[in-house]
Amino acid sequence: MKIQKLIRDVLLIEWFRGLSVTFKTMLVKPVTRLYPHVKRQPFPGFRGRQALVRDPEKLKERCIMCLRCKTVCPSNCISIEVGKDENNARVLKEYSIDATRCIYCAYCVEVCPVNALVLTEEYEYLGDKRSDLFFTKEKLLSDWDEFLTNYPGDSYFNKFWRPPGMPEKMLTPQKRNEKPIEIKKKNEEIAS
Amino acid sequence: MGSMEVKEIKEQILTTQNVCILPEVEDNLETKEMILNMGPQHPATHGVLRLVLRLDGEEIVGMEPHIGYLHRGIEKLMESKTYAQALPLTDRLDYISSPANNTAYAIAIEKLFGIEAPIRAKFIRTIFCEMARISSHLLWLATHALDIGAMTIFTYCFREREWLLDLFEMTVGARLLTNFARIGGVRCDISPEFVQGLRDFTKEFPSRVQEYETLLTKNPIWMERTIDIAQISGEDALSWGLTGPCLRGSGVDYDLRRDCPYDAYPYLKFHVPLGENGDVYDRYLCRMEELRQSNEMLKQLLDQLPEGEIISDDSPDFVIPTPPRQVEGAGSAASAFITLSKERKMINTGDLYSAVEVPKGELGVYVVSDGSGKPYRLRLRTPSFVHIAAMPALSVGHMVADIIAIIGSIDIVLGESDK
Repeated sequence: MKIQKLIRDVLLIEWFRGLSVTFKTMLVKPVTRLYPHVKRQPFPGFRGRQALVRDPEKLKERCIMCLRCKTVCPSNCISIEVGKDENNARVLKEYSIDATRCIYCAYCVEVCPVNALVLTEEYEYLGDKRSDLFFTKEKLLSDWDEFLTNYPGDSYFNKFWRPPGMPEKMLTPQKRNEKPIEIKKKNEEIAS
Repeated sequence: MGSMEVKEIKEQILTTQNVCILPEVEDNLETKEMILNMGPQHPATHGVLRLVLRLDGEEIVGMEPHIGYLHRGIEKLMESKTYAQALPLTDRLDYISSPANNTAYAIAIEKLFGIEAPIRAKFIRTIFCEMARISSHLLWLATHALDIGAMTIFTYCFREREWLLDLFEMTVGARLLTNFARIGGVRCDISPEFVQGLRDFTKEFPSRVQEYETLLTKNPIWMERTIDIAQISGEDALSWGLTGPCLRGSGVDYDLRRDCPYDAYPYLKFHVPLGENGDVYDRYLCRMEELRQSNEMLKQLLDQLPEGEIISDDSPDFVIPTPPRQVEGAGSAASAFITLSKERKMINTGDLYSAVEVPKGELGVYVVSDGSGKPYRLRLRTPSFVHIAAMPALSVGHMVADIIAIIGSIDIVLGESDK
């Protein structure tokens, strides 16, 4: 045993074994990406930048002001202001998300009864100031438009609007019957 | 220079100039202990850990770990949130194996409320726990080897870890803080693509582990740096409260996955690797074998994966801490929630301790419920906290350079110890 060990130590056998592994890897294609040049498309359902869904028909936000998202948020980053219009109907005056506080758990997306909120697959957003990451209602709606115009697919359906495997009885009627949002049609409308 | 000469020179100087300080030359040349601060910004402390070392030359005489730089008050924060809302906070404990933490919390609350998760949910949770174990051990191996000086292994481990993180992202949309489990089940079902991806991984992974072992296990430098460093006997390890691979490296056969099985572990066949000497090298060997065992477990889980529901009917609502979220028959979406809030049941009172085996060791959750829908008190027994407490016992008598190997071998995450 000792002689064997001595021979191994003198001939540096273990070292050459290790080196053979590293030399083999030299011949393999690299697994890394040159990030700013080669961008990675996240998987569907990636929890990225927040946005308010613009209803394809009404062309305004879908929110019904039930305050469930505000209540469920573990980090209290959502603030909602409800006002009244001339017909004494409730309107959404302000809806803001503080992205510096948000922990991207997507609970708000899951509890929203009308799928008005979404965490989009957009992941490249940053700001020089804290106020750049404080999203107001207008910003959230324009983020949604921006996201849809850049989205590669024909239609969009967020995973957390109806998590796969979720039983029907746990969903509100609108969540059960939600259809994917057609993007091409919408883009044409905006163009015309 | 003799001491007489010095005295003469001293006297001469003192007579000519009134003020002069010369070093006292003593006959015995004893050195004093040196205090050295290591961290909190040291890259090899794996986070913001500060170690105050007392050194005699290069030998460690005493050490005092200082923690708390990453304290976020998670236990206290949980008291202000409902049981379902508090779940994302458990991600932030051991942030490199968050599905395992989620599962630990979810199991504790399920036991408290008497909820039984569906069998498919249990299997999916166990799959994610084992994936988290592999990804946590890979990160441990990468950084531990990098600290000791084996640089190549770092890139290799991250290559395989990326694979697992992609699978996490495919299912829940997040790579690190997955927030996957849920009280009474899981958040989303797994897709056939996920199953296929994981099957490819399990097929490929044993050869990758073999690669790491080729680079490290018999390498003379690696052996010199790790064998007989930070040796701890089985009894000592037990009395310090070590768990997980740190305890098993000392030869104590204790694994909660086998000894008090939870979720889908009763359906699995695996063996618990044990070390002999309880040094850094044995802990390394234990974890390497655990990588292989976890891979085998993943294979068995995928083969046995049953069909069915992924969430229990009794799972509490996110907003209102009561089950069930029955919205059938409700007219509009808004009115559904008004009828909901009238139901108030299932909030059991009492306290409970439940523990699971996370990659680092035993993660215990102690909950006291007063029936209000929020935990009255929630105490987390995190393995890293206990392991840091044992660091002085492990490191006294070793060299400064060995500290790096010791920190790596007990596999700490500061987010978990500071909470």
